[in-house]
Amino acid sequence: MILSDQEYQMHKAAVWRATIILSVVTTVEVGIALLYDTFFHESGFRMALAVFMIMATLVKAYYIVAVFMHLKYERKAMAITILMPIMFLIWLLIALLMEGVSWHQMIEFYG
Amino acid sequence: MTTATNTVQANSESNVWEGGQAPFGVKYGKLMMWYFLLSDAFTFAAFLISYGAIRFTVGQDIWPEPNRVFDAFPVLGHGYPLLFVSLMTFILILSSVFMVRAVQEGHQMNKKGVILWLGFTILGGIAFLSCQAWEWAHLIHNGMTMTSPITYEIGGHGSGAVFVGPLAFGQLFFTITGFHGFHVTTGVVINTIVFLNVVFGTYEKKKNYDMVEKVGLYWHFVDLVWVFVFLGFYLL
Repeated sequence: MILSDQEYQMHKAAVWRATIILSVVTTVEVGIALLYDTFFHESGFRMALAVFMIMATLVKAYYIVAVFMHLKYERKAMAITILMPIMFLIWLLIALLMEGVSWHQMIEFYG
Repeated sequence: MTTATNTVQANSESNVWEGGQAPFGVKYGKLMMWYFLLSDAFTFAAFLISYGAIRFTVGQDIWPEPNRVFDAFPVLGHGYPLLFVSLMTFILILSSVFMVRAVQEGHQMNKKGVILWLGFTILGGIAFLSCQAWEWAHLIHNGMTMTSPITYEIGGHGSGAVFVGPLAFGQLFFTITGFHGFHVTTGVVINTIVFLNVVFGTYEKKKNYDMVEKVGLYWHFVDLVWVFVFLGFYLL
């Protein structure tokens, strides 16, 4: 499927835009990660920054999957068959992180 | 069924599942690449979620600070936290962008364009692997291996107080970045094979550059995984 010149230019522009967003988000993430050591020792602050890091990473993942891997332009049914199973991983992540906290407490309690 | 009725049916979404056509509107090779990547995502997720569970078990107090572990840069030495890994990230993102351009030029049936951008993609992959080789060699040289734990001086160099991290840190680091690096390596090999096919005109004869699109998906996936490895090991 050869695109018209206008469509081709549009697709090209979308890719460069995604590139700029990915670069800016990565730079901001690294900038904030560098502050951990110097400024933020309280765990509350760290927690808030961790939430920010995860959000920023999900933004990057969205642009890679939607624009670079072209999933935004595929049929919705296909995108659902790929993205739905990923939902189970979110459950696994939460379950095992809670398990990790529990193991930590058991080690502290029983020594 | 004639081609004409096929086209009409493909345009109406309602009877797309009644047979005789591809319901998702993509060729099976591309669809299967997507499902392979889905299964690969589960493998990487198992690695990264185990990393999270072990990190929470060990506890934040005795988990190494990424800013202290990854603070070296070739030639410049120590004291440049996260600089080198940021460089690696940008190399991989750029390589991914080059790959998108190669796929787009493939759609336009522009052989020269595909050769140019796929060439840049492969060079980016090799650059990333070289950086990773240096990082591994540096960490192993500093004493972090699968069997000996990470250590660094707490108050910077020359302070005397030494922090000894858990053994799991190095083991998880080498297995997860190693498995990712293995994917990059196979990606570079497959990209090179496709690159040679483009140069020899194989896809021009087939009248489609679908193969570039399929290896493109694999390459973007490698970049996607790195985004999450980067989050787990360097940012949090």
